[in-house]
Amino acid sequence: MKVKLLLRNPQDYLRETADDIHKLARNPAPELHPMSAETEYVRALNAAKLERVFAKPFLGCFGDQGDQLSRVCMHPRALSLCLSGCVDGRVAFWNIPRRSRVLQLDAHSGCVQGLCWHPEQDLFYSCCDTDRTLKAWRVGDDLTEFSRPVSQRHLDFAPLNLDHHVSKDLFALSGDAVYLYDSRRSDPVGQWKWGSDSVLQARFNPTEWHLLAAVTKDNALLLIDTRQREPLRRIRCEFRQNALCWNPQEPFVLATASDDYNLYSWDARRLASPACVYRGHTNAAMDVDFAPTGRELVSASYDCTVRLWESGRSQSRDVYHTKRMYRVFAARYSLDARFIVTASADFNLRLWKARASEKLGALTPRERAAVNTAEALKQKYAHHPQVRRIVQHRHLPKRLYQAQLEMKAIRGKQRRKEVNRREHRGEDKEPFVPERDRHVRGVDE
Amino acid sequence: TMDVAAEDSDQMPSGFHAKAAAKAARLRREAAKLASAAALESPGGIESRPGEWAPTQSKLLRRVAVAARPGHFELSLQYGPYSVAYDTTGRLLALCGRGGHVAAFEWRQKRLMFESQVNEPCHALTWVGAGSTPQLAVAHSNWTYIYDAQGLELHCLKRLHKANKLFWLPRHWLLAACTDTGHLHWQDVSTGQTVASYCGHHGPLRVSALHPDSGCVLTGQPNGQLCIWTPLEKRPVVKILCCPAGVRAVATAPAGHAVYTLGGDSRLRVWDIRCLRPLSVSDNGADAASIRLFDAAPQLAVSQRGLLACPVRQGAALMVLPAGGAKPLLSHPSPGRLSDLAFCPWEDVLAFGHARGLGSVLVPGSGEPNPDGAVHPLSGKRQRREAEVRGLLDKLPPETIAPPAVGGGVNAVDAEGIEEALARKRAAVMALPSDEVRQFQPRRRSGKASGELNRKVGERWQRRRMELRQLLKSKKRVLAEMGDEGADAAGGRKTKKAKKISQSGELTKPATGTFLDRLIPKAD
Repeated sequence: MKVKLLLRNPQDYLRETADDIHKLARNPAPELHPMSAETEYVRALNAAKLERVFAKPFLGCFGDQGDQLSRVCMHPRALSLCLSGCVDGRVAFWNIPRRSRVLQLDAHSGCVQGLCWHPEQDLFYSCCDTDRTLKAWRVGDDLTEFSRPVSQRHLDFAPLNLDHHVSKDLFALSGDAVYLYDSRRSDPVGQWKWGSDSVLQARFNPTEWHLLAAVTKDNALLLIDTRQREPLRRIRCEFRQNALCWNPQEPFVLATASDDYNLYSWDARRLASPACVYRGHTNAAMDVDFAPTGRELVSASYDCTVRLWESGRSQSRDVYHTKRMYRVFAARYSLDARFIVTASADFNLRLWKARASEKLGALTPRERAAVNTAEALKQKYAHHPQVRRIVQHRHLPKRLYQAQLEMKAIRGKQRRKEVNRREHRGEDKEPFVPERDRHVRGVDE
Repeated sequence: TMDVAAEDSDQMPSGFHAKAAAKAARLRREAAKLASAAALESPGGIESRPGEWAPTQSKLLRRVAVAARPGHFELSLQYGPYSVAYDTTGRLLALCGRGGHVAAFEWRQKRLMFESQVNEPCHALTWVGAGSTPQLAVAHSNWTYIYDAQGLELHCLKRLHKANKLFWLPRHWLLAACTDTGHLHWQDVSTGQTVASYCGHHGPLRVSALHPDSGCVLTGQPNGQLCIWTPLEKRPVVKILCCPAGVRAVATAPAGHAVYTLGGDSRLRVWDIRCLRPLSVSDNGADAASIRLFDAAPQLAVSQRGLLACPVRQGAALMVLPAGGAKPLLSHPSPGRLSDLAFCPWEDVLAFGHARGLGSVLVPGSGEPNPDGAVHPLSGKRQRREAEVRGLLDKLPPETIAPPAVGGGVNAVDAEGIEEALARKRAAVMALPSDEVRQFQPRRRSGKASGELNRKVGERWQRRRMELRQLLKSKKRVLAEMGDEGADAAGGRKTKKAKKISQSGELTKPATGTFLDRLIPKAD
């Protein structure tokens, strides 16, 4: 007779020295893991709840600027520096992690309409429409260098915005037309205009060096090739586009912030209709910025909120608001796509996290594994109603919530009337128009 | 969890389900391979030559290592028939006697944790909580008490009145109890909330067992029924007739889907709880529906590897049968009449309580050799504490307690919910005026100026009937569009398919045999 009895050697289950980690027995056999789907579901639910518990995106104010801020400009190479322009002509230089002001200049006599950095040199430009000047300022270690600009250029138009080329020594000023200036020449190198209304903003495409996009006051979006004399395309929209931004990772994608409370992302290869309509704001969208990853957007709105979006998804991922934040006019992503700086009409710059429940600082490998597991679980059970309602829900103050309900009622009414009209008149007289095709009046070449 | 064997794939309702079942079976096979590859230990067993008798304990002790000796001991105690219970790690053994003796000790080192005389008959016990703070729930004659590791009374649960069996659901942190008054209780031990407490109206529940994989309580009735109870339903969710005579004992394996019932005809039957059908057992080598257990007293215990222990000779000895077999693996005489049997989890040891004390015997091949996680006899204190915290975080809600035969679990498609939503949509769209309204004829008046009145009323109803006819037509059209895949019910957009259907006048979609057939528009 052969007898084998199960006897365990404790040495196989105990750690060898106090410096080792404890051993953990593992047996993946499913008989030892009943109700694994239910356990996973409970973990997904807990992950969703903990995400909301730790969702504290607001990091702090940069300090009262004293007057309304008009522009924010992030440094192209340094993570911790940014500029802000004020309506009274002051330009301030900020250290983001410390949220402290490094220096302040009385740059202009009127509103600072444009701010941008030189991509390689320690130089930034500012322009103002009241005194019609474009000034270049050098940044050095010795702060006395700030008191006077390096160069100053008088313009014969009132500039409304300013953008620098990603590598060449060119910058684009928008005023009554789009002007392309070379830093070595006093006269503009190129000029483009379509219609008689002023151009609000012109931006260079970071990848296609000859491509520019501009938004005008007469509700149009222009596409300009600097090698041609006339603009390539004009897209006539229903409402004014207040700001635009090119996707840093996809050369043909740009996003605009519109007065009709939406954001639109456009594919430059097919401009007949926007690629995506981002709906969520309850008042005009004032500014839009892409994250450096090209996968996320941030928008600043007249309804005192900042919304974050995933590229291609028309519902916002998150909404930031505080009691004291008033109309938000500018929002920018930091270079590492982890922080957002907003400028609002309550004279403050604010710093936010791009991921509201992200833990700042170094994560241990186990923490990182736990965070990744939680993310994977939430995605796996995202369609379950209990998990979905926790992940989607955001608390809004009463005025914003009521505004949202109002927008919902308005849209519901519009849809219902459409359905009734279609039933009454018939499909041919009242065809179904998809959401995307409702916002463009026409494309001109 | 989809716990269906791959052979059942031909019974799947559709190709999608067959593929899902095949994938689940493949993943299970791969997991089993991984498990066996990473296995540290191999299971025990006895290989005997044909004609050899089942070994006695002394024979086993001579053949195994000296380290196995702590598993074999006898305690002579005086306070009545004893019930025994191991905790989930297999480290602690507790006993309670009808004479009021309650004790707990670590059986390997024979280190006594506590021992007390409660001066009341104690009928059942179970360890509750996790291994780091072990607590013992003991069912006294009236109420149930919870003691801590030092024997201090922590709680007196008056709601668990006259409990004769206590069960611990580790994943839900629930203490379940069946009582002589026919009540069932589920008590959350972590929050103290009573999850369910009701009378089953099926007589005193004297024969019961827990199905650990799903958390349901199984009770055997004197009319031969096996009832499955869940906390959310006040009636048995499932009732199957399992014996021609009354059910004398019910037992389940610590893992898996097998349920063992011992009937009044002394026959042991094995059931599959997933499909509620009998599993065949081998009776002296041949496949049979049941095994005859001669003089079997109504206690059964099943080990992690499927070994079955039962008393024989009216409780004078215990017998261990191999998984699915009738030829005993070993037997052992008991000094007193056997009252309780319990296999030690993760070890090849069986504890038995009898009228004169308790004992423990070695049973090679009964314990699962490779545990997972920190729930095993050699886990350290820190690991047990962490496992307790994780267990509390992963606590499952009581809604997950459902017999596998009923309900698909958390990942099942909520077909009823979808159907309900569709019915609601349909009702909103097809809120037709009733026939009475459509066929209503206004009453004719008589008297002065009645001619004019009758004419006006008649005209008004004529117009109304026309309106209702239009309404019916448009609602039918919207419903047809709603039945199409690509149509938006609110938008009313007609896709090419819907146009095709309305133009051709006949169905182009084949019936799939599922509930989605309801959406195919009927050709009226």
